[in-house]
Amino acid sequence: MSAATAVLRRFKFSREVVLLGVLIVLMVVMSLLSPLFLTVGNLLNTSRFFVEVGLMALGMTLIIITGGIDLSVGSNLALVSVAVGFSYAAGLPLPLAIVFGLVVGLAAGLFNGLFITLLDLHPLVVTLGTFALFQGLAYGLSEAEAVSDFPAWFAYFGQAYFLNVVPGQLFIFIVAVAVVWLILARTSFGRYVYAIGSNEEAARFSGVPVRKVKLVLYSGIGLLVGMAAVIYTSRVYTARGDSGLGLELDVISAVVLGGASIYGGSGTIGGTVLGVLIIATLRNGLTLAGVPSTWIVFVLGVLLLVAVFLNEFFRRREE
Amino acid sequence: MTRIQGSKPPVKKCNAHRKGGENVSKPAWEFKIVRVALLMALVLVAASCGVGQQPSQGGGGGGPKKICMMPKLVGIPYFNASEKGAEEAAKELDVEFVYDGPTEAKAALQSQMIEQWIQQQCGAISVAANDPDALAPSMKKAGDAGIKTSAWDADVAKDARGVFVNQATFEAIGYELVDVMAEQTDGKGKFLVVTGSLTAPNQVAWLEAMRERMKEKYPEMSIASVEPGEEDLQLGIDVTKNYLRANPDTAGVFGITSVALPGAAEAVEQEGLEGEVAVTGLSTPNDMKPYLESGAVEKFVLWNPIDLGYLAVHAANAQLDGELPKSGTFEAGRLGKVKMVAEDEVLLGPPLVFTQENIDQYNF
Repeated sequence: MSAATAVLRRFKFSREVVLLGVLIVLMVVMSLLSPLFLTVGNLLNTSRFFVEVGLMALGMTLIIITGGIDLSVGSNLALVSVAVGFSYAAGLPLPLAIVFGLVVGLAAGLFNGLFITLLDLHPLVVTLGTFALFQGLAYGLSEAEAVSDFPAWFAYFGQAYFLNVVPGQLFIFIVAVAVVWLILARTSFGRYVYAIGSNEEAARFSGVPVRKVKLVLYSGIGLLVGMAAVIYTSRVYTARGDSGLGLELDVISAVVLGGASIYGGSGTIGGTVLGVLIIATLRNGLTLAGVPSTWIVFVLGVLLLVAVFLNEFFRRREE
Repeated sequence: MTRIQGSKPPVKKCNAHRKGGENVSKPAWEFKIVRVALLMALVLVAASCGVGQQPSQGGGGGGPKKICMMPKLVGIPYFNASEKGAEEAAKELDVEFVYDGPTEAKAALQSQMIEQWIQQQCGAISVAANDPDALAPSMKKAGDAGIKTSAWDADVAKDARGVFVNQATFEAIGYELVDVMAEQTDGKGKFLVVTGSLTAPNQVAWLEAMRERMKEKYPEMSIASVEPGEEDLQLGIDVTKNYLRANPDTAGVFGITSVALPGAAEAVEQEGLEGEVAVTGLSTPNDMKPYLESGAVEKFVLWNPIDLGYLAVHAANAQLDGELPKSGTFEAGRLGKVKMVAEDEVLLGPPLVFTQENIDQYNF
């Protein structure tokens, strides 16, 4: 078979290409709906809002590929936000408070991982529990108060612009995408992730250290949540217990939209990034076009259902 | 992780690939496609930079004035009432009007929407803040972009907005509550106050004003006890019932949150004390309608959210025209002359007293 037909077939079957098509169509539609959409200022500014969800979606992609899920990321974000804000308010220097926050995020992820691997529990059940646990802890520790007397330099993580237009956190995201992509696509660890998702039993018998891999994945997403939380807290300049509430659904939506199978075994970083971009484009474009936010939520729901349908369609054709 | 080095792990790659020899080349293809895809996205973004012009900021360039207004959240009766008033004002003033907010009362969602409104070239932005500090960065940014900023219903940090449209001063609310109660008890008696929490700043301030009013105008009235109802209807009922049983000389009960007042009214009704123990306070018409009808409550107090929305749009419009004074009054449509209580604060006016006669006009 010639290379040309192979390329053609890949084009036909690649989810990423379809997603890219969707993104391009959306961008065209949005720019027709609002002349303000396709401007440098707007596109770059939009990126300020998807970085947090995007960072968490990277970790979530790997977890979903293994057939797992983490429902606690939004609550964990709140916990880290409170940890940073309130340890700072209690007198810890801010750089240390940030490090402390990252450690809290990592520890929370590790806690999930230990529960899941040591007791062999389903991640859905465990993280449903920690979803409430972290949220309660965040509310309890903060006593529903907010901290917002941060020094000016703290704004750097979430509000800084390079050359006046490029949001600083975009660079963090690009680096994170590159790192996670390399891990998933270019290392034996990445292979293990796919192997676990395809058939965990077979992977275990083939010598894949299943528990270790999962432990690393859940801790890893904890760290990504920690980074997202610092950016989030800096962006709104306030640490409070309800930060990140409900973000877990945005994160999972982006990953599923990006073509990862909730049954495990498939998914790519490229797809997830496109999923994040599509949701951000839709939200931003529709808001600019003056669509009320209640209907934007509706449109997002429709989009997700269509994506799930398409994914299933692709999967069957591939089999 | 590297225990089985050398031998490739038996991975069923993404289970997305068909069997056969060409399997070997698939992953590489896949990466290339993704790379091409990302590249194309980048090119598209880059290309669009050439096409799109930077938005020119501000709405003052001869075009129609655009006022963008945000409640704490959309889809609840209170803020729907404000929207009604705001739409009315926008129509009168013939300005372009946008009313939207998050579906949950969260400051982070609000700040995101404000940032988008900055792109959308709103001339004026007015928000009811879920958190005064969390909205400060985006409101400051709007101000820096030449947009007139204001807050209504719930304030943003002072330095992050131009003006605050206040629904009622603590003093006016506290005084009105006591006046309404005094009418019903001939200006004397001992009273119970049911609050939400003992620390909520607005409630503490109302209480202070109430005590002040009693001391100055009704020396025979006194607050015998203040009990927290924790914004829990059942707790409010129980607290009131127990207190009334223990203190049968109580002349009346104030419920000063939208949950405490129906609780107090319910308790009086359950104890069969309608007409003997007067009940008033702060709550919304929809919550209180049954108690007005049953006679447990004669009158209660709140501001008018329709007028509040109406005034917020007028204030924003005056900001756009540069006609909002630093003191004195300004003309706000059907509300007439409205007072500037501080150089950056507009006051809606006296609170609204709801009675059997006027309650059907309001639905929130």
